Amino acid sequence: MVKKGQVKIQQMAFMLIALTIFFVLVGLVVLVFTFSGVTDAATELNERNAMLLVSKLSNSPEFACGDSFGNNKLACVDFDKVMALNINIDQYENFWGVSNIEIRKLSSSGRNTLCTQGNYPNCDIIRLRDKDLAGFDSSNFVSLCHKEKFEDTFYDKCELAKLMISYEVANAN
Amino acid sequence: MRIKNKRAQEEMVGFAAIIILVAVIILVFLGFSMRNTNKEVVESYEVESYLEAVLQYTTECEDYLNHLTIKQLIFSCEQGDVCQNGGDPCEILESTLIEISSAAWPYGEERPIKGYLFNITVEGRELESIFQGEETNTRKASSQNFIKSGNQIKLFFEAYF
Repeated sequence: MVKKGQVKIQQMAFMLIALTIFFVLVGLVVLVFTFSGVTDAATELNERNAMLLVSKLSNSPEFACGDSFGNNKLACVDFDKVMALNINIDQYENFWGVSNIEIRKLSSSGRNTLCTQGNYPNCDIIRLRDKDLAGFDSSNFVSLCHKEKFEDTFYDKCELAKLMISYEVANAN
Repeated sequence: MRIKNKRAQEEMVGFAAIIILVAVIILVFLGFSMRNTNKEVVESYEVESYLEAVLQYTTECEDYLNHLTIKQLIFSCEQGDVCQNGGDPCEILESTLIEISSAAWPYGEERPIKGYLFNITVEGRELESIFQGEETNTRKASSQNFIKSGNQIKLFFEAYF
């Protein structure tokens, strides 16, 4: 009688262990799925914020092409405006809330000539701010347009460029 | 006899519970392994902005008024026109897309980007397809549509990581 009871208790103990392991496993699976969703959502939100910040910058009046190069273009940066802005960049301290702004032309030549008033427009990098890198950085592709002289006329020349910014995230504390 | 039957029933229930438990564990592992082999397509704002900027890119091809943008060049290639400076719009389109895509998405075995695919279709018919590097399961892709003269033109770009 005692032996049978012991066996029953043993069976129940095994069953309880099996059930505990099962629920722990199910819980782990649910946790993994939940947290993977949260991470994805956070990454997407960060990406969206960064994209919005760069888009906001490229479409701001100080950068945007407006109607200078045909109809109103999106993600289009006016090279002439940026060069003019570069001279007066000190007046825009903390205006966009970004630490660094850089526009880099993308070409197969791989040159890295910094733009100055002397070599414009035959240059590759416009560095508007040059602080120490801090916080997050993000970039987006833009169209960098200017008026190019060809024989006796001028035409609209748009090149592919990358607008890169870095910004500091406000401390939560 | 009754005691024996009851014991057998209990054992059957225990056996069934173990089978269910094992099945669930196998299903979970299967689910994870299937999830890893699926192709990961990520909608990317970077690719979206790239396509937007590409359409505005000025090419070497000229018409009577101006240098053509990629957007205009696609239409010119579709129409079978010839550039005023003698070039073939389709050839210029292909070489320009390769040049700018390789500069924007530098690829290679040692680089984070392993390759890319650039596809242009007009009314579902392939006009241009450029594939460079190698295809992987992790990718970022986006497409852009526009209509010109009643034809729907679709640009599709996919970068492999």
